[in-house]
Amino acid sequence: MGEELKVIVFALGQEEYGIEVDKVRTIERMSPITRVPKTAAFIKGVINLRGVVVPVIDLRGRFGLDETEPTENSRIIVVAVDELEVGFIVDSANDVIDIDSDTIESPPEIVGGIKAKYLRGIAKLSEGRLLIMLNLSEVLNKSEIIQLEQLEV
Amino acid sequence: MDMNAYLSMFIDESNDHLQSLNENLLQLEGSPEDLSIVQSIFRSAHTLKGMSATMGFEDLASLTHEMENVLDLVRNSKLKMDSFIFDTLFKGLDALEAMVHDIVGGGTGQADVTSIVASLQKIVNSDYRSGMAEAAASGSAMQETSSAELGKALLDQFQTSIMMQSMESGHQPYYIQVTIDENCVLKAARAYMVFNLLEANGEIVKSEPTVQDLEQEKFDRSFTVFTISTASVDVLTEQISNISEIASVTVTPLDVESLNALTAAPAAAASAPAPAEPVQAAAPQPQAEQQVKKAPAAQAQSQQGGGVGRTIRVDIERLDTLMNLFSELLIDRVRLEQLASEIKRTDLTEAVEHMSRVGSDMQNIVLKLRMVPVDTVFNRFPRLVRDLAKTLDKKMDLVITGAETELDRTVIDEIGDPLVHLIRNSGDHGVEMPQERLAAGKPETGTIHLRAYHSGNHVFIEIEDDGHGINQDKVKAIAIKNGVVTEEEANKLSPDEINMLLFAPGFSTADKISDISGRGVGLDVVKTKITSLGGNVTVTSAYGKGTKFSVQLPLTLSIISAMLIKLGSEKYAIPLSSIVETGIIQRDKILNVHGNRMIQFRSSIIPLVSLSQVLESPDYDESQEQETEIIVIKKGEKLAAVMVDEFIGQSEIVLKSLGKYLTNVYGISGATILGDGYVALIIDPNALIK
Repeated sequence: MGEELKVIVFALGQEEYGIEVDKVRTIERMSPITRVPKTAAFIKGVINLRGVVVPVIDLRGRFGLDETEPTENSRIIVVAVDELEVGFIVDSANDVIDIDSDTIESPPEIVGGIKAKYLRGIAKLSEGRLLIMLNLSEVLNKSEIIQLEQLEV
Repeated sequence: MDMNAYLSMFIDESNDHLQSLNENLLQLEGSPEDLSIVQSIFRSAHTLKGMSATMGFEDLASLTHEMENVLDLVRNSKLKMDSFIFDTLFKGLDALEAMVHDIVGGGTGQADVTSIVASLQKIVNSDYRSGMAEAAASGSAMQETSSAELGKALLDQFQTSIMMQSMESGHQPYYIQVTIDENCVLKAARAYMVFNLLEANGEIVKSEPTVQDLEQEKFDRSFTVFTISTASVDVLTEQISNISEIASVTVTPLDVESLNALTAAPAAAASAPAPAEPVQAAAPQPQAEQQVKKAPAAQAQSQQGGGVGRTIRVDIERLDTLMNLFSELLIDRVRLEQLASEIKRTDLTEAVEHMSRVGSDMQNIVLKLRMVPVDTVFNRFPRLVRDLAKTLDKKMDLVITGAETELDRTVIDEIGDPLVHLIRNSGDHGVEMPQERLAAGKPETGTIHLRAYHSGNHVFIEIEDDGHGINQDKVKAIAIKNGVVTEEEANKLSPDEINMLLFAPGFSTADKISDISGRGVGLDVVKTKITSLGGNVTVTSAYGKGTKFSVQLPLTLSIISAMLIKLGSEKYAIPLSSIVETGIIQRDKILNVHGNRMIQFRSSIIPLVSLSQVLESPDYDESQEQETEIIVIKKGEKLAAVMVDEFIGQSEIVLKSLGKYLTNVYGISGATILGDGYVALIIDPNALIK
């Protein structure tokens, strides 16, 4: 029996993903986003989160998936990792569950089109549900963004 | 025990102590005879040692310990300060600073300090012999009681003044010699009993050997004590004699004359005799402390009397949070005002107006909370100038005025380096060598004035030296040689413009490259930095008389005046400080020069920048319009016109950063939150002008 992890579950397309609760500052409904020019395409801009300006990225775009128009269910999950505070746009966020860290297995090379390095592992839940755990520091890795920007230019 | 909780406190206090060590050492260098300064230096060093040992920073503690040893000798007049000792102490201080810095950066504060420790120990040891000789001398004095012999047991001015004062308040100072029985086993214990007894009767001013040495039995058989007491000679003699294993006691009452003689006698060894008054003036703090010992109840009072401000330390992050919360309130206020004006209910309007007034007062206070006196930057400059003078072999003084002038914390954090550069520049290029100065009929010692003062919404900082000033012909010649200007241009320049050439990139007038300045990467960096803070720097000079650099800085960086503009559906803010004027141009007035669009502005032709192209605006394109609103912006001397869609108006905006995730966004210096809660980006005008 490993340690218990509290995880926020959100959806991107058909897959379910998890982020540890202690990394999540807040979950917000979609709010007006101010575009920031000359940034990577998946950086949607900045929002006013109760007086603090927070950048928002589209997680679909970040993972190279097709971006979709936000819906009624879309949410912004604001995470805080190593002094970085960033909001993720996700299709929906609707659950908090406990998982056993022992059930997390290292991910295969590519899951749902997402490179393995962005993933911490895959947790098997009951009834065959699979939960993809994100490796936040890789997702927020800035040096890679700089590379991406250079490619675009 | 978890030390992390105390780490930040340790760092804060260490920095305070290091700073006061630095200041006091400098002061002591100016008046090496003033032992009261040594006392406060010693106290700072001692506290620092204790703190670092508690926190487990052994290297820090051991180096402080060695410095303390040297200071202890000086304090007890066994060692005279000389330039070697000063240099070693300063070096030690630098090492301590480096260690604390390392700790701040998350390090362990370890450093190789063996060479400094070795020199410190050398100082202590080489004087150890003379210290012994002196002790022996006072030992031999035991046999006699004439006041001339008493003088061997040195009293410093500070101790004398305490005894003088005690006489005024009705106490009697005594000089007591105690000799312990030859067969005594626990000499330290007996000495302790004598001390205990004397302390019960009054106050011990000084003992020879020191209390520490007595405790460790580092004495032969006899010791001497200067004490203040209300008891009579007989009572004291009897009480001390009653302690067992005491061979003999001599109690000699002291009067003003003998006290003066005591201070005068060691003049050759320790210091020039000084009357009690100047000492009192120079050493209010230690004296206050002595009095505190006598009457603990008076403690609070005397500390306040010493000018200790009633302040608390607040984490800068909390102030930032307060600022954030407040700016949210500001946004809500604007929203409320809007609603109130729509609803038009008198009582609601009144309530909202009152809230607005309270809000403005609060805004002032919140902004003031972030203000820090420039002293926090200035206080390291005396040391800088001292070191500079040593390296350059020049003589110079730094005179600071207006150190209490306050500036926003963010400006303070940024302004240090540019000022260091300007001061070094003044010391290196401004102030002449002593013989040159004498030849020019100036005092041998050069003076650098560092002034700070408020004026309107700005703070001015001036660095003025009385050196040889700017040689304009030389400046011109070098500027031409380095390709900054052509000869033709140079001849057209006004004197002020020639001075400003100093700030041009790649310019250096130093004949040879020195450590201090003169790599040609100096003043232009200073200018860039100050400009990026929204400030300005100018220089005036009289050849042969001196040079003055004047730095103008904005009071605060957290709230600025800005022009809000629209670009299609998007709103942006442009800082008012870089706007020259606004206007409208007709499409057909736009000129094409080598493919660059220019417009005529006043008598010159300036470039025209399309903001919608720079910012890749999704829904605005000025090329569809017959006439376009423009904003003329400036960067230093250069102007440019920026095309926008629509002006919204002028507004006070709260600066927000885009966060650590988005750094160095081209053309954007930050963001602000508008009254409707939307985020507007702040345009960096400097990026728009090439």
